[in-house]
Amino acid sequence: MNLSFFDQFSSPSLLGIPLILISMTFPALLLPSMDNRWITNRLSTLQLWFINLVTKQLMSPLYKKGHKWALIQTSLMFFLLLINLLGLLPYTFTPTTQLSINLALAFPLWLATLLTGLRNQPSASLWHLLPEGTPTPRIPALILIETTSLLIRPQALRVRLSANLTAGHLLIQLISTATMPLSTTMPAVSLLSLLLLFLLTILQEAEAIIQAYVFVLLLSLYLQENI
Amino acid sequence: MPQLNPNPWLFIMIISWLTFSMIIQPKVLTFVSTNPPSSKTHTTPSTTPWTWPWT
Repeated sequence: MNLSFFDQFSSPSLLGIPLILISMTFPALLLPSMDNRWITNRLSTLQLWFINLVTKQLMSPLYKKGHKWALIQTSLMFFLLLINLLGLLPYTFTPTTQLSINLALAFPLWLATLLTGLRNQPSASLWHLLPEGTPTPRIPALILIETTSLLIRPQALRVRLSANLTAGHLLIQLISTATMPLSTTMPAVSLLSLLLLFLLTILQEAEAIIQAYVFVLLLSLYLQENI
Repeated sequence: MPQLNPNPWLFIMIISWLTFSMIIQPKVLTFVSTNPPSSKTHTTPSTTPWTWPWT
């Protein structure tokens, strides 16, 4: 059967065994286990430094009550970062292009932030549905709009991540498909290969997508829990 | 679009949460830092300056 450009995103399976299991557990192999030595090797030191940096960045806007989210947010950041970076290698499958994974990660976490806010300070979290200083006739419409924007947050989180990665991978595939047959004509190929390289560096904003993901999650937690 | 194929969705969702909570989180938990981030102390520490011995 002819391959279309979207077939790189179909969940791979070999002889009936879904290979997405391997592609999701493989990033864990890249995280070395912590040693009990005082001074560890370079990779562990760098990793520790990175974990501390991420945790401090994520937790400093929050009060102490929000610090119990440190583990889940840091490990989520690592998970998504490694998966996305590994997907940039040729012939690798990126699990986060699947809408199912992003839904599985986004929806429960968003719901957790919402329920935390509703449980601990129910009136304050409901007040967020109405911005301050709105004129009275506009109040019903604004409440509807704010509720919609609140409820659409998990879908936005999920679609943002998968759409950005899918679009990036597709673009790389398209441009490389254009570059190869044009290698007989020289000026076009030099321009196209430059474009391809430029696109690859832009595609390393895939890691910026992680930042966007975790920060948006953090933002919703921040608003719900503390104000 | 093959991502819209609902066939492996439940499997993928369960596997993603299992790897996230069972594999990644314990690995990140074992990272004990020598200086864990802590809240600032209320008192400012007063340090007396010392001269480096140039021998």
